[in-house]
Amino acid sequence: MATLDLLSISKSFGAAKVLHDISLAINDKEFVVFVGPSGCGKSTLLRIIAGLEEATSGQIMIGGDDVSNAHPVDRGISMVFQSYALYPHLSVYENIAFPLRVQKLSQQDMDTRVQRAADILQLTDKLQLKPGQLSGGQRQRVAIGRSIVRNPKIFLFDEPLSNLDAALRGDMRVELSQLHRSLDATMVYVTHDQVEAMTMADRIVVLNGGRVEQFGTPMELYHHPKTKFVASFIGQPNMNLVPATVTGADAAGLVVELPGGCRMTLPVEASTVAVGDKVEVGMRPEHVHLGKAGLEIDVNVLERLGGVSITYGTAADGTRFCASLPGDARIDEGAPITLGAAPEDCHVFDKSGDVLRRRSAPALVA
Amino acid sequence: MMDRYSKLQMVGIYFAITIFLIFILLPFFEMFMASLRPLEHLFRSPYQFWSDDFSFQAYRDMWVTVPLLGRYILNSIFIAGVVTGLTMIFVVPAAYAYARLEFPFKNLTLGIFLGVNMFTGAVLLIPLYRVLRTMGLLNTYWSMIVPGVAFLIPTGIWLLRSYLEKIPRELEEAAFVDGASRMYTLRRVVLPLAVPGLIVVGVAVFIGAYAQQFLFAITFNQQRELQPLPAGLFEFIGYQDVTWNQMMAAALVGVLPVMIIFLFLQKYLVAGLTAGAVKE
Repeated sequence: MATLDLLSISKSFGAAKVLHDISLAINDKEFVVFVGPSGCGKSTLLRIIAGLEEATSGQIMIGGDDVSNAHPVDRGISMVFQSYALYPHLSVYENIAFPLRVQKLSQQDMDTRVQRAADILQLTDKLQLKPGQLSGGQRQRVAIGRSIVRNPKIFLFDEPLSNLDAALRGDMRVELSQLHRSLDATMVYVTHDQVEAMTMADRIVVLNGGRVEQFGTPMELYHHPKTKFVASFIGQPNMNLVPATVTGADAAGLVVELPGGCRMTLPVEASTVAVGDKVEVGMRPEHVHLGKAGLEIDVNVLERLGGVSITYGTAADGTRFCASLPGDARIDEGAPITLGAAPEDCHVFDKSGDVLRRRSAPALVA
Repeated sequence: MMDRYSKLQMVGIYFAITIFLIFILLPFFEMFMASLRPLEHLFRSPYQFWSDDFSFQAYRDMWVTVPLLGRYILNSIFIAGVVTGLTMIFVVPAAYAYARLEFPFKNLTLGIFLGVNMFTGAVLLIPLYRVLRTMGLLNTYWSMIVPGVAFLIPTGIWLLRSYLEKIPRELEEAAFVDGASRMYTLRRVVLPLAVPGLIVVGVAVFIGAYAQQFLFAITFNQQRELQPLPAGLFEFIGYQDVTWNQMMAAALVGVLPVMIIFLFLQKYLVAGLTAGAVKE
C-alpha cells in the first residue's frame, strides 16, 4: 500500500492541452474519486497514473518513488477498465490468473491466489466458465479479481460501473466500498457519476477542463464548494443559481436583492464584492421550502417520488428553479408558489464563479 | 419486417439468383458433362446434350494418359500450402504492426502495398525471371513459391489488419498493465481472438496461391515432376489430338480439394468477413 503524489502533471495531445499543471497528494489507503463532466481529462489523468499514457511534463510518485517512466507493473498499480477488458477466449480462472502467468508463478501459488480472489468476490463456482456466460456484475467482479491477485499498491478504476444497470450499480457500489475496507488499499476511481463519487470516496477531485476545481471530502464539497462549478456539479438535483444584486453589507453579512424584489441578508464574507455587483445566490433544492417571502415560481413540472416531491419551475425573469419539497407537497402544476431558503443555507458566487466564504456552515464530519 | 418480401419480389429474387448461379456453375457443369462423354461424341454435329454411352471411363484413363497426374495434384496442394504458410508467417506480425503501432510512413507503405497489387504477375514476369535465375531458383519448387508469397503478402496484410483493428484495444492495455510483453499479448490474447480472421486470410491466400501458380509454373519451371496441376493439364494436349474428356475429368478432380476446404470453412468465411459489423 502506498501514497500517490502527482507533481504538476500536464498533458497535451498535439496542440490541445487536456491537463493543466495538476498536483495532488493522495494518502495511503485512501479512496479518491476523480469526477467531472466528459472531456474534463479525468480518464487521461488515470491513464497517466497507470502508465498507459505519458505525461507531457510533471512527475508521478508512488510510495515516495519517482515512477514517471516506469512500466505499469513496476509502478505497482493495477487497473480495472470500463469495458472490463476480459479475455473472451479464456476461462474466469485464466482471466484472473493472467497477471500471475505473466509473472510465471508456480501453479500452486497461482491456485492459492486465484482461489483467494474468487472467495473475496464470490466467484468460486464460476471459475471454469467463459466471460460470455456471466452477467454484467459477475464480469465486473472478474475484472476486479484480475486486479487484486497481483497485490498492487494502488488500484485504478476507470468508470467500472458505467456499463451496469442502475440497480446493479447500487449493489456494486456497496461491494466496492467493502472491498476497499477489506483490502485496505489505496484506490483511485474515475467516474462521471457524482452519486458514486459522494458515496464511495474518502476524498473527491473535481476536474473541469483539465484543471482541479476542488479536492476535498464529499461533505466539504457539498457544504463548502469553492466554485460555482463544484457547487452545481455536486448534489442531486443540481443547485439553483439565482442572479442577484448586492445592495449592501453589514455585520450580519451580505445584503442581496433577488429577482422580484425580495431582499436577503446572507451570512458570508463580503469583502470581495461591492454594492451594485452582480452575484449569484446558490440554493440547493433540498434546502428550499415553501414560504411567504422569497422567489415567485411558476410550477412547470412536479415529480412526486413519495418521500419528496421535486418541483421544476421558472421565475418571472426566466430563471429556472428546482425545489425538493418534503412529502407529496400540496401544490399544483401550473400554479404560482413562493419559495425561500434559510439565509445560512445559501451560497454566494461572484462574477468569476468563486464562492464567498460562508460564516455559518454545518460543522464538517471528519 | 425488413426481410418481408411480396410473392412477386421473391420470384424476382430467385430468378436473379438462378441467372447468377447458371452463369457461375455452367462451366463446371459443362466440364462434368464433357468428362462423361467418349471423346468422339465431343465433336459430334449437331450437338447432342444427352447420350446413352455416358461413362466414368475418362476418370480411369486420365491416370494412364498422364502418369504424373497424381503428382501434379499433390504439387498444386503442396505449393499452395507452403505459399500459405510462408505468407501467414510474414502477414501476421506485419498486419499487427499496421493495426496497432505508430511508425513513420505507415499509411504510405500501406498504399504502396495496395499499389503493388495493381500489377499482375504477368507484368513482372521478365524481371522476376531474372531475379530467380540470379538466385538459382529456376526449376525448383521455390520458383513457384517465392513469387507466390510475394504477390499475396499485400492482400493478406490488408485483410488481416482490418480484422485485428476490431479487437478492442483495452484488452491489450489490460495485458500491458499486467506486465505482458507485446509478443506475449500477441500470442496469448490477440491471435486466439483473431482465429476467424486468420482462417479467412489463410483461405483467401490459399485460393490465391492455387489460382496464380499456373503463370509461375509455365515460366519459371521446366521440371515435369515439379509442375502443379494447371500446368500438368497441358499434357492432355497431344500431337494428334486433345483428350478433352480426360482433361476435364482431371481438372475437376484437381479442384476438388479446394472445394472441400471451402465447404468446411465457409461458415468461418462468412462469420469472419462480417465480424464486428454489429454489436453482439
